[in-house]
Amino acid sequence: MMLSFFLPLFMLFLFLGLPVFFGLIAAPGLLLWLNGQERDIVLLYRNVYNGMDSFPLMAIPFFMLAGEVMNRSNITLRLVEFSQAMIGHLRGGLAHVNVLSSMLFAGLSGSAVADVSALGSMLIPAMEKQGYTRKFAAAITAASSIIGPIIPPSGIMIIYAYVMGESVAALFLAGIVPGILMGGSLMLMVAVMADRYDLPPATTRASWGHRGQASLKAIWPLMTPVIILGGILGGVFTPTEAAAVAVGYSLLIGLFVMRTLKWSDLPDVMLRAGMTSAVVLLLVGAAMAFKTVASLSHTPELLAGILLGLSDNPLIVLFLINVLLFIVGMFLDAGPAIIILGPILGPIFVSMGVDSVHFAIIMAVNLTVGLLTPPMGLVLFVTSSVSGLKVETVARAILPFLAVEITVIFLLTYIPALTLTVPRMLGFIQ
Amino acid sequence: MQVLLGLTRLLSMVNAALLGAGRVLGTACVALMVIFILVQVFYRYVLGNALPWSEEAARFLMLWMTGLMAPTAFRRGGFVSIDLLVGLMPRMVAAVLQLGLLALSLVVLVVGFRIGWAEVFGFGGRFATDALWLPTRVDLSSWMKVPRGWAMASLATGITLLISVNVELMLRSVLQLFGAGARVPEIRDQITLGAE
Repeated sequence: MMLSFFLPLFMLFLFLGLPVFFGLIAAPGLLLWLNGQERDIVLLYRNVYNGMDSFPLMAIPFFMLAGEVMNRSNITLRLVEFSQAMIGHLRGGLAHVNVLSSMLFAGLSGSAVADVSALGSMLIPAMEKQGYTRKFAAAITAASSIIGPIIPPSGIMIIYAYVMGESVAALFLAGIVPGILMGGSLMLMVAVMADRYDLPPATTRASWGHRGQASLKAIWPLMTPVIILGGILGGVFTPTEAAAVAVGYSLLIGLFVMRTLKWSDLPDVMLRAGMTSAVVLLLVGAAMAFKTVASLSHTPELLAGILLGLSDNPLIVLFLINVLLFIVGMFLDAGPAIIILGPILGPIFVSMGVDSVHFAIIMAVNLTVGLLTPPMGLVLFVTSSVSGLKVETVARAILPFLAVEITVIFLLTYIPALTLTVPRMLGFIQ
Repeated sequence: MQVLLGLTRLLSMVNAALLGAGRVLGTACVALMVIFILVQVFYRYVLGNALPWSEEAARFLMLWMTGLMAPTAFRRGGFVSIDLLVGLMPRMVAAVLQLGLLALSLVVLVVGFRIGWAEVFGFGGRFATDALWLPTRVDLSSWMKVPRGWAMASLATGITLLISVNVELMLRSVLQLFGAGARVPEIRDQITLGAE
């Protein structure tokens, strides 16, 4: 019985400011100790270790490394040139280019923070020079960056798949349409605002020859998602092997094809990827221990009872859960939030008949949008530092785009086909 | 106060040196992981011959990468937390809360330390890994299977380093409480990390 208090205790620790990693272990550990179950604390430790000792999890450092290598190789410049040649002539051209570049970058890195750092430092000054306000440029850069973890590859999808026992390939496939929908909706909003605020086109319409040239220059980075997804779906590679191949491929094009990456860059690139991964892997290990205690304490069943007490209509419960996730996203980054809430909420919705992959995408997209919301929006902070604007200024400027993204969350929630059609067509879910 | 300052400076130097070495080794682990898995892919799909050791060796390296690099992230403020409440509090109250949270972290780490090293040297650690072999003679005429304890030592080592960092952070918090926080060198390269 005492174990059922571990969730409130964990939330208290978190609210007080204890790092999530320690909270995930301290809350259940303390209650196990108070319950006289000291021997189970050893099991908690073993769960952390065994949770980290996993081959599928190795995809996380590899995808992070591939993203870092691409970033350091200035591949973003080629993506921006490609986007500009394709749609730069539209009214609000650079804002459209910003969104399209984020969608293309998402296929390489899977990280919103990498997207803001790479594209923001290039596009925000360029947009300002063309007459956009800096806050608008920063807002569209931040808003479009969250497509990074939605379109595959995606760090948070790998975490979700591992913690919840889902197929990485199914989640990657399920993220494609939501990512494109998110990008398309943002471009629609840009088009509306471009008319209203008379935003300039970036360039005159590019000739087909110029477009062909830009495509050729961008072909190497654009092939990365094809290799990753093609390899996984074709059964050639496991997701981890695909991630390692992505590293090899990005090194090849950075060092030898584009020659924009120096050998001396490599230690720093590997250090950054390694350090980020180390924190994530520790968290995932702790989450596996947390998950075991969550199921032992019957917390999901208790919460399910409370939720179903509010309504037994899955559509209403999904609405409520979206509101809850959005609030959680305001305070926690997507990765830790998925690690904490996945094992608790996932089983509830699966028992209500919601497809597990569908729920994973609702959760991942909602919490990713949370990266844009104050007071604890990771992307807001990075955008603020890249643009030199105050966090509050970016947060206010982002509101129209945030409204669009919330609409997309609800579309994804209530139209499961948007998420499930692609993985179903390719036989990854039934 | 002088003793406290001296102790903090000493521990800060020790941690900087230990974690620096950890970062170098961790970076090497990352490089080797990539090489091993690319070799695995090459052997399996090009030569049609699956290597028995590459996956386990890469996992071994990933565990050590985590154990060696996570303490640096902790020292630089890279462990995810909600610091909203701390930010809203008066400086002194925030420092007391911070100290309390670090004390709680230390308890978790000390328990982890005791269990971790007991596991490394205990029954489970004596089992051998499935496919990892090391030569025991320079002429390669004799080989031994790598014990599981060597992989398990990664987390125990990580926790040991985390304890050292945690104690340093506690000492810094105490100095902060006494208004002497500025008299020890700041920890450089504060970072924000995440999978997002």
